[in-house]
This record gives sequence, structure tokens and C-alpha cells, in this order.
Amino acid sequence: MTFAVALTLFPALPRDASAQGHGIDAVLGYLTITTAVAFGVMLLILLVALALHRGRDRVAHYTHGTRPRDRVAAIVAGAAVLFGIDAVAVVRSASALRSGFWRYPDGDPRAYRVEVTAQQWAWNFRYPGADGVFNTPDDVVTLNELRVPVGRPVYLQLTSKDVVHSFYLPNFRTKIDAIPGTVTRLWFEPKETGTFEIACAQHCGAWHYKMRAELTALTEDELGRWQGRAAADAALRYDAADREAHDGWPWMPAP
Amino acid sequence: MSDEDQTQKQPSLEAHQTFWRRAVFSTDHKVIGRQFLWLGLVFLAVAGTLAMLIRWQLAHPGAPVPVVGGLLFPATGGVVSPAAYTALFTMHGTIMIFFALTPILIGGFGNFCLPLLIGARDMAFPVLNMLSFWTMFVATAILTASFFTPLGPPAAGWTSYPTLSTAVGAPGVAQTLWVLAIYLNGASSVMGAVNYITTVIRFRAPGMTFFRMPLTVWELWLASILNALFVPVLAAGAVLLFFDRVFGTRFFIAGSAIKPGGDPVLYQHLFWIFGHPEVYILILPAWGIAGDLLSFFSRKPAYGYKVTVGALIAIVVLSGVVYGHHMFVTGMSPLLGEGFMVLTMLISVPSVILGVGWLGTVWRGSIRLTTPMLFALGLVTVFGLGGFTGLFLADVLSDVYLHDTFFVVGHFHLTMSAAVLLGAFAAIYFWFPKMFGRMMNEALGKLHFALTLVTVIVTFGLQLVLGYAGMQRRLVDPSAYAFLRPLMPLNRVVSQAAFVMGAAQVLFVVNFFYSLFRGPKASANPWQVGTLDWTVPSPPPHHNFDDIPRVFVGPHELGNPAVKAARGVDFQRQDEEPPA
Repeated sequence: MTFAVALTLFPALPRDASAQGHGIDAVLGYLTITTAVAFGVMLLILLVALALHRGRDRVAHYTHGTRPRDRVAAIVAGAAVLFGIDAVAVVRSASALRSGFWRYPDGDPRAYRVEVTAQQWAWNFRYPGADGVFNTPDDVVTLNELRVPVGRPVYLQLTSKDVVHSFYLPNFRTKIDAIPGTVTRLWFEPKETGTFEIACAQHCGAWHYKMRAELTALTEDELGRWQGRAAADAALRYDAADREAHDGWPWMPAP
Repeated sequence: MSDEDQTQKQPSLEAHQTFWRRAVFSTDHKVIGRQFLWLGLVFLAVAGTLAMLIRWQLAHPGAPVPVVGGLLFPATGGVVSPAAYTALFTMHGTIMIFFALTPILIGGFGNFCLPLLIGARDMAFPVLNMLSFWTMFVATAILTASFFTPLGPPAAGWTSYPTLSTAVGAPGVAQTLWVLAIYLNGASSVMGAVNYITTVIRFRAPGMTFFRMPLTVWELWLASILNALFVPVLAAGAVLLFFDRVFGTRFFIAGSAIKPGGDPVLYQHLFWIFGHPEVYILILPAWGIAGDLLSFFSRKPAYGYKVTVGALIAIVVLSGVVYGHHMFVTGMSPLLGEGFMVLTMLISVPSVILGVGWLGTVWRGSIRLTTPMLFALGLVTVFGLGGFTGLFLADVLSDVYLHDTFFVVGHFHLTMSAAVLLGAFAAIYFWFPKMFGRMMNEALGKLHFALTLVTVIVTFGLQLVLGYAGMQRRLVDPSAYAFLRPLMPLNRVVSQAAFVMGAAQVLFVVNFFYSLFRGPKASANPWQVGTLDWTVPSPPPHHNFDDIPRVFVGPHELGNPAVKAARGVDFQRQDEEPPA
């Protein structure tokens, strides 16, 4: 029991299954180490003062802290955080964001596109089918099950039918809100096959905690076989009169 | 400003004689301060109890709550249902922020201390001050009523994002009552803010320049400016949400799926334009109290007082332009995202300078570990831990992963809840003698401190770890996810620490009530400090000062060898001429 607790105390990130995740983990690690050092220094000074400068018989050192060396202390501490933590983190993050989170694969013909419609309390995934166009009769629709290829960018457009949800992929270190009335975008690239959890991160009602789905990353062969079966199913199930089921939209161009 | 001006502006009014005007509808800032304090403490107990229920559920999902479960949740045999859980965290957050911490620090100690600390006989607008309290009282009554509505209490989170908080996701009257309560709470805050701002500008005693004000006054004043500027933005959001709920408007309700309509994200902007300054509104008074107490109980002046004030002003200005970091995952444009990231990161610089001031103050002092001092030191420690974790959330890249996880929960509890609460306890232990004329028990106070500090760090520190491992907020049962199941033992540890924290507060309640009736009588200046509040009897007379004092020195003139040589004490009263 104690051992189990000690193990879980170690701040373990979920397994990284994405091509971009290592950049995020590196910044998280940098921030963890540098802030731990900064907090440690602060705590050390405080504890030393408490250990050595305590008691009624001591005469306090009378100063308002306005000597030049006091100014230097403030400037050094401020600069250490500004340049040692803030600037490094901002530069590294901005570059990772520009080559990752914010570099949507709009012109990339390899991008695997899926439309996601969130609802209380499930995820609907819509694939364009053979014609590559959304909101047509050959669309494949799955519930709480997202199948994507490995080694290609997966490009999602998301919206919600009811309240704000948030599409969260712990193993891919990313998330984006699904907002009614708006289409948001998210992309990531799986680097290994396997099944990973999709979570809702935004409080969306009583059964928020059950809004769980699964992402399965497949090889191109496996994906092709599934797509064949799914297309046949979709053709059988398509009902032109069922307007409720037609919740897709023409793929939005880059804004 | 001449002495005559102040005496003319602050006539010596007769004390009210009837019970109703003296104790209930009083315009005396000291009575109103105590009223806010009582109200805040009662709701602190309520919100704390809700937190215990939340922690029970996270430690033992699906197990009936022991002892009180059958009474609170009869329909489920004492088990916290998913709907009940969402109501628990919604009301816990709402009450803690708006109806416990704000009333205790700003309403309670703001009212009680501000005129005393600047040498005024009362607030600039005593009637408005009374109205502020009774508006808050009505707000609490409405919020309390929302617990007992047919469809259950409000459950859309303390942020109450549309469309979950509109009729789409929250039918029933409870959420409407929530909106009304928040609106009236805001109105009360703005009334208080206008009063505090004016009082500080107009009613400072002769000689009380801005740079002779205690840090507590500075920070209450800055918090009031933020209140006056940003609470109306929340009020605007609340009014529009009220219209959406009651009159069928569609400010925040989108058309179905991608069809046009209102914009739910607009509310998020309004909420966080207010919401980020709000965290500073909460922490500023606590910082101020800690800043003063560190100086008082290190028996030396506050280190770099003017630089500290400059850093505070920088933080206040920056706090108004960083709210976007709460919305990094709403699909914000990269340009805005990078802008908000840089601005938010910049807050760390004045914050560190503030920390240098705290450390410099205790360094080479003659530290007296009284209960108020211990809580002030606890605040510094806990805020340090919480403050540095803010950098993770300012950074868009790490925030995209950590957003809406327990990392956020741990971070804001450490900074704007635990640190604020420790500041509130410091204030209570410190000013209790002035408020009620009796001393609190030091031994019980120290035990209360030790248990509270340790459990705060374990509870909220481990929440950071849970968030780092990816656990989302607001899950009634995290074990619904396979990747969170290994974290359940850790959740239990967090809960056990929280239960001890809750139990430790009994020590405070016992100490508070025992001291209220049986504590040793307090002298005028039990802590041997020089600010104006301690120059008058404990408790102060109706008009505080028979004669408006004249101020000669700053608030932290302790340990001055010249004073020691001339008068034999190590502190210099603000209203005494310094020795030649």
C-alpha cells in the first residue's frame, strides 16, 4: 500500500503516443525543474532566517531595504525568473506551438480529416467516406470510437450540439473545446498503434465523467480494411429522411 | 490637508442608542466589519463542509457518505449522485470565493481596519457601507434558497459557462437564483469598493501620506480599484445570462450545431475579464496583511516598502490584461495566445520582487513566532508554491495539456484559496484583540496553524501531481477512465489530508468562541506595534479617535536604535514625533 502510494506520488505523465508530445514534455520538465529550484531557494532563505534570526534577545537589523545592494537583490531575483524561466519557456513554447499545435495541416494532402460533434454525453465522429467530402451519403459515422492512421496528421474539426465540451487526449498532450455554434480545430500525429482514451475535460453536466471515447491508431492496412467494412455499413444505414443524423458540415477552409 | 479640514469632514457623531441601529442596521464601520466577518465565517464552514463531501466521493466513489449521508442524500441512500456531485463543487467554489473569502477579508477586515489604519473616524459613506452589507446579506439568502429548489441546487460550476448554465443545460430556478445572487454580491462589492477608494483618498489623517500607509491599506485600496473596474463586467455577463434564462434572449445560446445564434464564448470573455482580476482582489488584502505582519513580528521595517508598492501596482495593472490564459483551448488565435502568454509570464517578475520584500523583511530580524506571524509565514510558503505553478498555466504549450486538470485546481487553491485563507487566519488572530477586546489562545492557535499548513500543502500539492498525471477536474468518479485508475490511491491520500484539515478547523472554532467570552482582556497595544489601530483602546470607541491623529512616520518603524535609546521600546508610534 505504502509502496503503491509512493509510486503514484511520482508525477508520471501518461504515455506519449504523439509525434509532437516530446516537445510539450520537455517544456513541462524544464518548468518543473526551474520552478522547483526557485521555490527551493525561497524556502531555504526563509528557513535559515527562521532558524537563525528568531527570538526576543536578538536585536533586529534596522534597515528599510533601500541600500543599493537591496536594489541589486531585487533586480537579480527578477531577472533570474524573467530570463531563466519566463523567456526560455516562452521561446521554446512558441516555437513548439508554431510547428505543432498551431500549424494546422491545411494544405497537407496526407491529412486524415474527421468531424467531431460533441453532445451530452458522447462523441460523434464523421469520416468523409470515399468521395472525401463531408455531409454526403457515403459519410461514415461512429459513436465514441475514433479510428485514425499512424504516421499521418489527424485533423479534426469540432463542434457541439448542446453545451461546451472539451476534447482531451492525455496521451497526445492536447485538447480543444467543442463549442456550440462554432467550429474549432485540432490536429495531432500518432506515432504508434494502439488504443488510447479520449476524455471530456470541460464540465458538461451530471454525466460529464462518463463522456469517454476511444481513439484507435491503426496501420494503413488495418485502417483500409476497417474503412471498407464501415463504408458498407454506412451505405446500409443511410437514411435520407433522418435529418437528425445529418450533423456534418462542409469542411471549413482555413480561417 | 490641514487638521481643521479633516475635523470638519469627520464630525464626532453621537453613537446610536437603540439596539437595531447599534447592532443590526449600524453605520459604524467596526460593526459592519464584524457583521461581514460573521457572515464570511458561517459560509466558510458551509463551503468547507461541501469540500469534505467532494473529497469523500473522490476517495470512495459510490460509497455512502458516513454519518450524514442518509440525511443529505436520502434518495440515493447516502451516496453522492453525479448530479449531487456537480452541485457540490459548484456551490463549494461559488460560496468560498464570493461568500466566504471576499466577505472575511475585504468586507470584514477591510471595513474594520481601513479607517483605523489611516486615522479616520469612519468610512466616507457610512450609509452606503451599511447598504453594502445588507445587499450581501440578501445575496446570501438567495443563494441559500437555491439549495432547496425542486430540481436541485445550481450545478454548472462556479464559472457557470453557457450553454450549460442556460435553459439548454440547467433548467429550473436554481441557476437563475445563482445569477441573481452573484449580481447582488457584485453590487455589494462595488458599493464597498467605491467607499474604500474614496475613504483612502479623502480621509487619511494629516501626515498620513500614501507612502506612510500600512501595506494592508495599500492592498485593500488596490483591490478596491480592481473591484470597481472589473466586477461590473461580471455583472454585465450575469445580466445577459439572466435575460437568456428568463426572457428567452440568445446572447449566449448558439444556434444548433453550426447554425448562427448567440456566442457562448462571449460569456467566457466577460467572466474572465472579471475573473482574473478577481484572484488578485482575493489575494491582495492577504498579501498586505502578511507584509505588515512579517515586519511587525520580525521587529524591523518592511524591506523595500516603496519597491513593494511599485511591484503591487505593476501586478494590478498586469492583472487586467492577462485573462486570455483562461481560454487558451477555446480556439484562440495564435497571435492572441502568444500575447496573453507573454503578458501572463511577466506577472512573475513583480511577484518575485514582492517575495524578495517578504524574505528581506524577516532576514536578520528578531523573529517572534506568534500565531499571526506563523500564518503570515505560511501564506508566504503556500503562495510561493502556488505562484510558481502558475507559470505552467501561463505557458500555452503546457496549459493545453494541463488545462481543466487538477493541476489547475491545485494551483488556484494554493494561491487564491489556501494562501488567502491563511491570510484571513493571520488577520483574525492579529486583530481579534482589537475587534473583541480579548486575546486568543496562542497554544491552540499554533496547533491550528501546524495542522492547517501541513494538510494544505499535502492536499493541494498532491492535486498538482494528480493534474500533472492528467486527471481532469469535476469528475464524480475518476476511475471511469483507465488511465486515472492508478491515481485512485493518491486521491485517497488527498482526501485524508483534507479531512484532517477540516477537523483542525474545530480548534479554531473552539479558540474563537472561548476567547470571545473567556480570553484574557487585551491591552490597547498587545503586539507592541506603531500603526494607528493600536493607539486606541481595544475595542476602539465609537469614533475611533477622539482627536484626529497627526502622523509623523511610516507604519513599520520597528527596531530603530534611536527610538530604543530615547524611549526604551523598539517601535515608533505613527502618531508620535520621532526622537530628534
